[in-house]
Amino acid sequence: MAEQPTLVTITVDGKPAQVPAGTLLIEAVKAAGVHIPHFCYHPRMKPVGMCRMCLIEVEGPRGMLLTTSCTTPVADGMAVHTESDTVKKAQEGVLEFLLLNHPLDCPVCDRGGECPLQDQTMACGPGESRMVEEKRHYPKPIPISDLVLLDRERCILCARCTRFSDEISGDPLIEFKGRGNAVEVNTFPDEPFASYFSGNTVQICPVGALTATPYRFRARPWDLEAVESTCPHCSVGCRISVQSSRNQVLRFMGVDNGPTNQGWLCDKGRFGFEYLGSPQRLAAPLIRNADGVLQEAAWSDALDLVAERLGALAAGGPDVVAGLGGARGTNEEAFAFGKFLRETLGTNNLDAQLGDGLDARLLAGITARGTIDDLERARTVLVWAPDLKEELPVLYLRVRRAATELGARLIVVHPRETGLDPVAAHTIRYRPGAGTELLRRLADGSGDLAEARRALGEGPVVAIVGRPGAGDDPRLAEAVLAFAAGLPGATLLPVTRRSNVYGAADMGLDPGLLPGRVAAPAGTGGRDAAGIIEGLIAGEVAGLVLLGADPVADYLEPARAAAALEAASFTVAIGLFLDESAAMADVVLPALGFAEVEGTVTNLEGRVQKVNRLLPGPAGARPTHEILEDIARRMGGSIGAASAEALAAEMAATAPAYAGITWEALSWGEGRRGIVAPGPAGSQPLVHAPEDHAPPPVGRNLVLHLARVLYDQGTLTQAGPSLAKLARPAAAHVHPEDATRFGIPAGATVRVTGSGGSVELPTVFDPSLVAGTVYLPLHCGASIGAGLEITMEAVS
Amino acid sequence: MTWDRRTEDRAAAIVGRYPEKRSAVMPLLYLAMAEDGYLSEDGMRRVAQLTGLSNAQVQGVASFYTMYKRDGVGEYLVSVCTSISCMLLGGDDVLDAVAAETGVADGETGEDGLFSVEHGECIGACGGAPALQVNYELIEGVTPDHGRALCRWLAENRPAVVRGDDLQERFGGRRSFDWGPVEAGGATGAVPAFGPLGTAGEGS
Ligand code: SF4
Ligand code: SF4
Ligand code: FES
Ligand code: FES
Repeated sequence: MAEQPTLVTITVDGKPAQVPAGTLLIEAVKAAGVHIPHFCYHPRMKPVGMCRMCLIEVEGPRGMLLTTSCTTPVADGMAVHTESDTVKKAQEGVLEFLLLNHPLDCPVCDRGGECPLQDQTMACGPGESRMVEEKRHYPKPIPISDLVLLDRERCILCARCTRFSDEISGDPLIEFKGRGNAVEVNTFPDEPFASYFSGNTVQICPVGALTATPYRFRARPWDLEAVESTCPHCSVGCRISVQSSRNQVLRFMGVDNGPTNQGWLCDKGRFGFEYLGSPQRLAAPLIRNADGVLQEAAWSDALDLVAERLGALAAGGPDVVAGLGGARGTNEEAFAFGKFLRETLGTNNLDAQLGDGLDARLLAGITARGTIDDLERARTVLVWAPDLKEELPVLYLRVRRAATELGARLIVVHPRETGLDPVAAHTIRYRPGAGTELLRRLADGSGDLAEARRALGEGPVVAIVGRPGAGDDPRLAEAVLAFAAGLPGATLLPVTRRSNVYGAADMGLDPGLLPGRVAAPAGTGGRDAAGIIEGLIAGEVAGLVLLGADPVADYLEPARAAAALEAASFTVAIGLFLDESAAMADVVLPALGFAEVEGTVTNLEGRVQKVNRLLPGPAGARPTHEILEDIARRMGGSIGAASAEALAAEMAATAPAYAGITWEALSWGEGRRGIVAPGPAGSQPLVHAPEDHAPPPVGRNLVLHLARVLYDQGTLTQAGPSLAKLARPAAAHVHPEDATRFGIPAGATVRVTGSGGSVELPTVFDPSLVAGTVYLPLHCGASIGAGLEITMEAVS
Repeated sequence: MTWDRRTEDRAAAIVGRYPEKRSAVMPLLYLAMAEDGYLSEDGMRRVAQLTGLSNAQVQGVASFYTMYKRDGVGEYLVSVCTSISCMLLGGDDVLDAVAAETGVADGETGEDGLFSVEHGECIGACGGAPALQVNYELIEGVTPDHGRALCRWLAENRPAVVRGDDLQERFGGRRSFDWGPVEAGGATGAVPAFGPLGTAGEGS
């Protein structure tokens, strides 16, 4: 698809070279094979020409001119010199200046060994400094947030960090302060650098001025082992480098994958590795003993017990057992789980989601599915979805880029303000439950929506659609997608958050789907998550297999899920932690997790990427596919899972959309960027027709907007000390008008009662809501169920 | 936080002068400074709200320019030039003399709040070096003795308004040839009167 760039001819150090027109000299010269030292220039940000390190000589009408190659566009016929004596002298001079005040504390600097300043000083710098005066001194380091530390005297004032915060992430909480010799990067007093993207500044700082608390003093770069992989925290699927020392993951670094993350990571992804080394990881199987206590057991005993109990239950009919989960692991694990449930247990009761996302048939079978990179060419972008900044943060960066850098018109539809609102051309708010009505008005372009509707008529349109809140009916998203599909040049991105939920759908972890985006034959039956949970409570389902799923904490009606596990006659939980659901299981089997197994994952655009193994994991834990195979064998069957790679080969051979997507293909060259599995047009036609639905009447009552925040009480977030402390306590967001109506003074505590119970919370006034709506963050230690209608009263 | 009605109106008028809100940051900072006598954190926050910049960005601008005072200043701000022309002609001695007479060190404000003393970068009066300013009103050809006498006089007479012409007359020495017309109003404090430049948000 990439258009061939036009080429111009330049001369680099006397040699002619063909380089793409319109690029900056620094890039053009790089394309010709010559590296120019630089600090402030970053290929994903606008050039500023601040550090002067990239000086080269350009021949001009008035002779040779020293020019910053990062700010000069290439022109046909240009002749440049990168190694002349003048250039060398300039480089030495610049480095001597940059080092005037530098403390040269490389031996105790995290960056030492991978420091552009160190490297380029060695390569191009003067041997000695002529500075004999006292250098600047600052107290060091100062924390500028919970995650980032600043050593001001190491800073070379390149403005990469401040430009990132302003241009890319849009939260300029750091800026240069002072003047002349006293300039430093800093925050406003009492306003820390609490950006969701702060870790990127640590990665792009060309010196050791910005360091991350989870990594500081933990390793030297040359001691690290690294492997490229895919971030396991959400369905954007950012490319990362996993780096470890002595079998402990110490950091994730962003890898620049043009079509997805463009080098950036969110802090949840970047610092969300600590859970892997958590002492709470399960390291041995647990069996509930006669006293009802979970007790460590041998693998063979645990597997025998699981096989015996599941076998006995499954003999009672296909509907008696069920499986939940598989949306957080690899495709291979999901594929194995599906085979185990369908072939070994003979049930079609299976769901990778917990009723909180979109219909899996939609995820797997949407026509006109877009890619994230479509945003680069979009004229209009419609986001009717969760707050992307909270749930899919790097997708937020890409949409923000489309709106701020690429001139796309952004339309955001959400029940309250979202992270994208400041860059949106149109923000449209609605009351949860009234989405269908709003969609009708938007489609008609009636009243105040005329402008937005006009913008939607200008393609190409990218529509990012999901469930803005838990209370929004998933069929609303389908209706929005159906509307968007008719817009000019439209491509569609149905979004939901769990990291490999798209892979799980593609692997058939849904009653309505078979592996490879194939619809299950009509009349196949089977229960989805809600059906399984209600079935367990009703006694129609008796056995449950959980794979990395924690319905007791995650299900939108947690009380129902707890009742279901209570009612189950046998539950086995396979996972990394003794989470709330595992704590109620009869057998708990410890599995290996991210960076401990090899496989593939599929992101929200259907891009299949490799995840790789770097660590052995806890001694007692085993790979999921082996666990499932061992149970299957004890039951007299097999899922044919000799190895994860064998499963991958079987997938590539049998799942139509995955034909040819082998590990080999994903490990080298262009394949490392991932391969987008062809859409349903290329495999099995599958159109999921949206149904119309009427929102429940809300009248004078309040409705609930229940939506996720980035740092919540989730198991993986809480198991890592760095992220755990970022979770904020829950508060009820109340519209000021409602506060008046219900007599709630500012800061008062309210009792909110919903479909699944009631909770007392402090209030925050939130005028961005539509009156009549209360917003609660999901999974913040308070659950009242997801039913739309709620009541609220002040408590004294 | 918001200011009182009158100040908010002036702020709105200032913002209204520019096609981009953020362009109003500098006059608004003077307004904030006039409001509190110095540039407070609350003042910077309000400027950030009015311009759509972040607090850190406003602080960046405020901390770049030395005439934005982020700490309180005395009634008389004495800025002694120590840049090259003045330095060659004894500016540092003038600074020492002023500091000794007022008992206030460079960069400080006296406890009684009467004087603040600072060294300044070139104040554009090199031809009349060494030069100093009182509340940004210029005096040229100042010797250390002149400086001492000036401070004594200010302490004794406490003029509500200082005028450059007047001070030059009393304590100045040789002037530069391009001594321009002095603003009629004189200075009432360390916040420069930015009204004459049409950026004050008044009238228009
Ligand atoms: S940033 Fe760190 S490693 Fe680089 S030169 Fe400075 S002290 Fe050394
Ligand atoms: S802290 Fe690092 S990235 Fe930021 S200006 Fe200083 S050297 Fe550049
Ligand atoms: S890289 Fe060109 S000036 Fe910094
Ligand atoms: S050097 Fe003092 S006025 Fe210019």
